[in-house]
Amino acid sequence: MFSSLKIGLLIVLLAGAGGGFMYVKTLKADLATSEANNQKLEQSVEDQKAVITQMKADFEAQANIKATLQKQHDTLKQEFANLDKKFNKINGKGEVRDIGTLANERPDSVERIINKGTSEGNRCNEIAMGSPLTEKEKNATKKSEINSECPSIANPKYVPY
Amino acid sequence: MLILSTFLISGCSSVRQLDVFKTEVERQPLNLPAPLTPKLEEIKWTIITSENADEVFAKLKAGGVDPVLFGLTDEGYEALAKNFAQIRAYMLQQDEIIKSYKEYYESTDKKSKNK
Repeated sequence: MFSSLKIGLLIVLLAGAGGGFMYVKTLKADLATSEANNQKLEQSVEDQKAVITQMKADFEAQANIKATLQKQHDTLKQEFANLDKKFNKINGKGEVRDIGTLANERPDSVERIINKGTSEGNRCNEIAMGSPLTEKEKNATKKSEINSECPSIANPKYVPY
Repeated sequence: MLILSTFLISGCSSVRQLDVFKTEVERQPLNLPAPLTPKLEEIKWTIITSENADEVFAKLKAGGVDPVLFGLTDEGYEALAKNFAQIRAYMLQQDEIIKSYKEYYESTDKKSKNK
């Protein structure tokens, strides 16, 4: 009777110890999982930060590109307006320039002017197609030195005055 | 005995677990060469009016050139000049767009390589 009680108690003790051991073991495993999860979360936060930084850089780059394209568009628009003005300039008398009348009156002068303009326009097309600038073009700063058809691309040092 | 044999046979199995892994292979940059820049031919305009027509044709004949001219009115010339200016502006803008795309995407690739 007494020995049966002892055995019973021993079994209860062993079961308690076993249960405790299993509980601690599970706790350790849970802790390890939590630590691993934390590391993953931290890494995830770092990754997200990197993504946000990259997105900011991309937005900035896109804004810069758009600004550059807009600036180029404005410059080209201005040059086109200048060309239009060449044909339709208003003289001192308030009359609109008529190239036809001018050519009829002074064919040689107008011929020389339009041939110069065409030659400069051809050069502009070459530059637009990737032809490198000559030293003379690069260093031109005066009106008499520039390519009047497209100074924005042919004469980088020229500032309109 | 039967159980022991089963364990022994399964222990000698030569089939191993397959490891599958992926390696990122970067896309090759296109790097197309720029087309050759043509040297444009010179164009010579001749202005002909009712008064200088005979003189102009005589000059052409004297210069051994066919006495024929392809004409434009002053308005036609103006339109031609403006058309060329527009084509040129379009080319420049397209060129800038291509450069921007290249810079934008290639610099992004460089950044991701550095990571």
